[in-house]
Amino acid sequence: MCKTCNCGSETDSEQISVTIKGIKTSGCVKIIERSLLGLPGVLHVHVHAHDGKTKIAYNPVRTTIGDIANKLKSEGYHLQSNL
Amino acid sequence: MQIQVMANILDKNDKMATQISALLNSHGIFAVNLLGSPGSGKTSLLENTIGALKNEIRMAVIEGDLFTSKDADRISCHGVPVVQINTGGGCHLDASMVKKALEKLDLTALDLIIIENVGNLVCPAEFNLGEDVKATVLSITEGEDKPLKYPLMFKQANIVVLNKIDLLPYTEFDMATATEDIFCLNPNITLVAASCRLGEGLQKWYEWLKQKISNKKRSVLAVID
Repeated sequence: MCKTCNCGSETDSEQISVTIKGIKTSGCVKIIERSLLGLPGVLHVHVHAHDGKTKIAYNPVRTTIGDIANKLKSEGYHLQSNL
Repeated sequence: MQIQVMANILDKNDKMATQISALLNSHGIFAVNLLGSPGSGKTSLLENTIGALKNEIRMAVIEGDLFTSKDADRISCHGVPVVQINTGGGCHLDASMVKKALEKLDLTALDLIIIENVGNLVCPAEFNLGEDVKATVLSITEGEDKPLKYPLMFKQANIVVLNKIDLLPYTEFDMATATEDIFCLNPNITLVAASCRLGEGLQKWYEWLKQKISNKKRSVLAVID
């Protein structure tokens, strides 16, 4: 995490860019961000309401991309990878 | 190449933390890793906790600080064993430092060890010290945005003490947002709103701590039986 002193497990977290489908209003952004942040390994979520483009920082050891997709599905959205 | 080195450092730390955990378990000692920013009130929380519980719980403190012994000096006035760790500028404690500090304590005469980490909302969250729980102190003067800005600290914590609530009327701190963000990051966390200066709200922290210590004692005794 700490890029200043190079300590810690910076390598444990990854940042992915995805597109989330099913966003209808700006209220959806808050729902998505809150629900994903509740997953154990998700550290940061930033969703663009107008096109669904989303950046997610997460620790893949604690939360998999499958967990993220399932969580989105349970909230009525679905994930499309940009990779 | 650097990535591999960092991975090795954490791996080594985790192995030593496991050894510390086993050592503390063998003595039935409950250990708290106390985290938070400089000035959040970690040492004040410790002072209050010692004052409230030292007659019923045998406790010791390990104080982490960069260079000085200012916090250890404060704690030593309260009549409990205290060991100072100076990191020499290092921004966090690691398990090897704590292992050496434990050698200076009589583990047969303790129920609780509180390890006050270096004041920092980033790095200390990454290093396990063999503790049972992580407790994070966040003061309202730091602002309600800190949980989302420093998520790992709140993801890893078992309890958050939201300190300095006596200053709420003088700040624009948004308690509802802070609470919502903390539970969003960690739905299972325990939240205590308190003022270490006035002692307000601390009873919940004391009861939580006593329950955890009691649970640990019971689990150790169950293994022995």
